[in-house]
Order: sequence, then C-alpha cells, then structure tokens
Amino acid sequence: MRKFIVLLMLCFSVLPVWAAEAMLENAQVDTSLPTIERGVEDLMNNCHTCHTLKYIHFRDLAKLGIDRKKIDEWRGDQTMDASLTSMMSDESSMQSFGLVPPDLSLMTKAREGGADYVYSYLLGYYSTPDGEIKNHIFPVTKMPDPLGISTTTDHAQREEIKKTAHDIVSFLSWASDPHEQERHRMGYYVIGYLVILTLLLYFVKNQIWGRLD
Amino acid sequence: MPNRIINWIDRRFPFTSFIKHDLTGYPTPRNLSYWWNFGFLAGFVLVLQVVTGIFLAMHYKADVTLSFDSIQHIMRDVNYGWLLRFMHATGASAFFLVIYIHMARTLYYGSYRAPRELMWWTGQGLLLLLMATAFMGYLLPWGQMSFWGATVITNLFRATPFIGDQVVIWLRGDYGVGDATLTRFFSLHYLFPFLIIGVVVIHLIALHTVKSSNPSGIDLAAKDNIPFHPYFTIKDFFGLGIFLIVYCLFVFYMPNSLIEPANNIPANPLQTPTHIVPEWYFLPFYAILRSVPNLVGGVVAMGLSVMMFAFMPFLDRSRIPGGASNRPMVKLGFYLFLLNMLVLGYVGATPPTNRTILIGQIATLCYFGSFLLIPYISKAEERWLIKRGLAPEVQALIESEARQIEQAKHPHSRRAGDIA
Repeated sequence: MRKFIVLLMLCFSVLPVWAAEAMLENAQVDTSLPTIERGVEDLMNNCHTCHTLKYIHFRDLAKLGIDRKKIDEWRGDQTMDASLTSMMSDESSMQSFGLVPPDLSLMTKAREGGADYVYSYLLGYYSTPDGEIKNHIFPVTKMPDPLGISTTTDHAQREEIKKTAHDIVSFLSWASDPHEQERHRMGYYVIGYLVILTLLLYFVKNQIWGRLD
Repeated sequence: MPNRIINWIDRRFPFTSFIKHDLTGYPTPRNLSYWWNFGFLAGFVLVLQVVTGIFLAMHYKADVTLSFDSIQHIMRDVNYGWLLRFMHATGASAFFLVIYIHMARTLYYGSYRAPRELMWWTGQGLLLLLMATAFMGYLLPWGQMSFWGATVITNLFRATPFIGDQVVIWLRGDYGVGDATLTRFFSLHYLFPFLIIGVVVIHLIALHTVKSSNPSGIDLAAKDNIPFHPYFTIKDFFGLGIFLIVYCLFVFYMPNSLIEPANNIPANPLQTPTHIVPEWYFLPFYAILRSVPNLVGGVVAMGLSVMMFAFMPFLDRSRIPGGASNRPMVKLGFYLFLLNMLVLGYVGATPPTNRTILIGQIATLCYFGSFLLIPYISKAEERWLIKRGLAPEVQALIESEARQIEQAKHPHSRRAGDIA
C-alpha cells in the first residue's frame, strides 16, 4: 500500500508540468475533407506568402480531393509535382524578418503541445496599452499577427478568426501526418484480429495445459 | 520420401536431434510464470527490428542533406512506409521495455546466481549492444534531438584520460557531428543487430546448458520439467498476442507519443534546443550523469550505473536459494530500487533546477548504495532466515550445494564405501 502512496505522490509531482501545457486552448482538430479544404484555402491566403510546405505537393492536394480549379489557381504555371513553396525568397525574408520563416509541413508535430500549440499561438496575439502587438504563447515571435485577432474587438469577427485558425490547424495536422486516418482505420482491424487471435490462443493454451495433472 | 530426406540430412548434420534436444523436447520447469515470457518476446522484437530496418534502409539515405527528407519520403510516399517507420521507432521502445522487464525478473528471482552467471553477463553485453544500436539509430532521422543527443553523448568521451579530444574526433569522424558521423552511425546501426544475434546465440547456448531458472529458485526434479513444446510454445504465443496488442495500440494510435517533437525539426548545428532529453529508456542513466557536477565523474558514474548489474553474482552472497519470494529483505529492496529508477527517470526528463538536481543526487546515492549494501543485507538476511527456520526443500538444496562445493575442492578424495 505504501508503495502506491509514494507512486501517487510521484505522479502529482509531475502535475505542474502538465499545468503549463494545459494553458493551451484545445484546437479540436477535424480532419474531414471540407474542413481541410477550407483550411488549405485560408493557409494559401494568410500563410503561404511567407511559409513553405516543402513536403506537400499540389498533387497531394488533388489526391486528397481538393477542388482541381482551386489547385490550378494556386499553382499558376508550376507543375502538379511542385511543393507549396512560399512566394518570398529566403533573402527577402531574411531582410524583412531576420530569419527564414519555418517550414509548416510538420509544424503541428514539431512543437510541444502539437496542434493545440499552433492554434493557441495563432490566437495568442494581443495589443498592449502602448499599441504594441505581442504573443503570449511565443513572446519572441517575429511573425506579425496573421489573422488580425489582436486588433479585432467585435465578437462575431473574433469567432470568425477562431474558425479560420481552427481550419488552418486542421489542415496542418493533416499535412504533418497525411496517413493518420488510414492508420487509424487499419489499426481497428489489426487490433481486432489480434484480440480474437489472442483469445483463441488463450483457450488453446488452457486446453494443452489441461492435459497435465 | 520426406523421411528419407531427413535421414539423409541427419547422417550429415544433427538436425532431428537438435530439434528434439533444443526445441520440442527441451525440458522446462512447469511452474514458470508469465514473467518468463519476456526472453522470447525480446527475440521476437529483435527479428521485428531487423526486418523493418532492412526495408527502411532500402528507402533511407544517409547524407546530411537528404536524410531528413528521405524519412519524410518514407512517411508520405513509400507504400506503407509510415507503417514500417512507426513499427521500427515504436519497436525500439518496445525492445527496451521487454529487456528491462526481463532484467527485473532476473533480479527479482535471483536468476543471475550460480550456475547462471554467464547468462547474466552475456545478457549484460546484449544490453550494452542494444543501447549502442539504439543510440546510433536515433541519429539517422537527422532531427534536432538526433543531432544534439549525438553531440552531447559523443562529447562525453572527452573524459577519456590523455587522448579525450582525439577520441571524440575519431568517433565523430570530424570536429563536430556531421556527415561523417551520420554515415558511420548508419553503417554500425546496420552491423550491430547482427552482433546482437550472435550474442543471443551464445546466451541461448548457455541457457540450454544450465536450463531455465524458475520462481521457486530450487532445481526441480525431472518430473516437474515438461517439454518446451507444446506447453511453452503455446504459452509464449499467447503472451506474444498480449504484447502485440499493446505494441499495435502504440503503432496505430499514438506513435508520435514516442517521438520527441524537436526531432520533427531538421538538425541545425547553430541552434541548440532549449532542453536536450534522451529517449525514455536512457533517462535514469542520463539523470545519474547529470547528478555528478564534474564531467569525468559523471561519465564514470553513468558507465558504472549500467555495469553495476554485472556484479550482482558477486554482491549477492546469500545461500538462500531463489529470489525475492524466499527473501523478504531482497523483495523490499527490489521494489525500492524500481521506485528509485522511476525517480531517476523523472529527474532525467525535467530541466535541471536546484530541487531536481538535489533529488537526482539523492536518487543516485540510493542507486549505488542499494548495490553496495547487497552483500551485507544478503548475509544478515540469511542468518535471520536460518534462525527462523527454513522450508525442508530449501534446507536440502543448501546442503547439496555445500556438498558440491566440497567435492569440487577435493575432486580426488574418496569416501568410505566408494567403489574404487
């Protein structure tokens, strides 16, 4: 019993670490096609100017089922095999921001807190009384508030921005792990099969061991 | 016809007798609990890692400019590449989990004691090889944590007396971790599993010489041994089913929980991550490394902390057979040791603060202290248990062992009544 009490105490000593992560808002990622389609559209309008998605190609979007007309509009004269490369050259980003904006292909996997982190970060901008715009999730960020949450006071508009952030994060979650849905579907069958197999093995084992007296 | 072929082979190679002696008819104690499944599971995970690894190597490129991209190529474009990669990455954690349970079982039941010392020591060699393989494999995705983990760990070899700096350069193949490091780690990561297979064969030959230990710790009479097949083949397969369910839950539903987020950022030698952490299976040893303020001391402490297990056959001097089930103080010590490992793991995972450093130092002292106290505890416990009275079969075993030792000392002495 004492061991369990000590173990419990140990668990609670980890709690402060979780509490820091719990400050993130839940992004409630939705990887259904309409959300992802809205998400990629919002991303092309708000993020794509500066950010690249090296591992996402236009053909991947077509394969997913995104409207072909929209894809053609985005890619212009690039081939279907081209990646979603930002419109800014590395040199001009260096001049404007002092760094090359990070690639977004793996963004929701590359931060502690995942999609919730990116969502909270996009919505984390606020105006200080002396007119500066800051972010409470990532204070040293160099990215200007892309969705304009810091200057919007109207409730309906803020809800609209939250929805945009949600859609963008949903698309980024898909982009960081495009086979996730396939994986979950397959896991359902694999684990179902294993459970049945293991049960049968258990019965066979009991039968064989039953021969011993 | 098949019989004739087998006869033909048997005249030239001990095929049937090998199968009979070491697989189907291998005598196994019938009282083995499920804790004895983990050796078989470790063998299974080894095969799984080799097979998935060979297929991954067909698509992976060991080159600093290409390796991160090639992992993404595997994850996105190769047919079921994501499955191979997640199976391999999860398999590394599964391997350590299984091995740690296998070791904990050996410690709990005292299976390292005579005559199984060589099994324990080959096992210790396997643990070192496994750690080296896992460490080198972790560099291959060329993410931030791969790069900085390899930088920190290779840097520890600076502690080598006189030639420290040269050793570090020799290991890395360059002044810093770079392309030369990546290619040699890839080459060795492919080689080491085959060394592991070789040592596993030695481990198994030793096992089949001394036979399995069992929960009672007492050598069983022939009637208590049953053939490996079908009794333990089916028991191992049932255990494998349970293991695979847990493993697949991770592979299919939470594979990213075992991958550090920073490793999804390509390696950048100019930017140190805020917090460098090793994989979970190295955390207790990493905590010991950080608990000693001085580099050489820390490296020695970390090396010793892994190697301490090898001294167990010498440290445990009790004549009471079996493990913790017959020995209440060993049992208490065992659980306290596990708890201390958890504390060390927690300390290794958190950024160093005054509080965690202090906890880590206390836990490190407890870690080494628990090994160093074993000789005294085991002797005191033996006296206490003998005074309290032993079970007759335990008593008989101690006496027969004492006789054997006596005989080994005087092999030519004859007793009255011996036939000359």
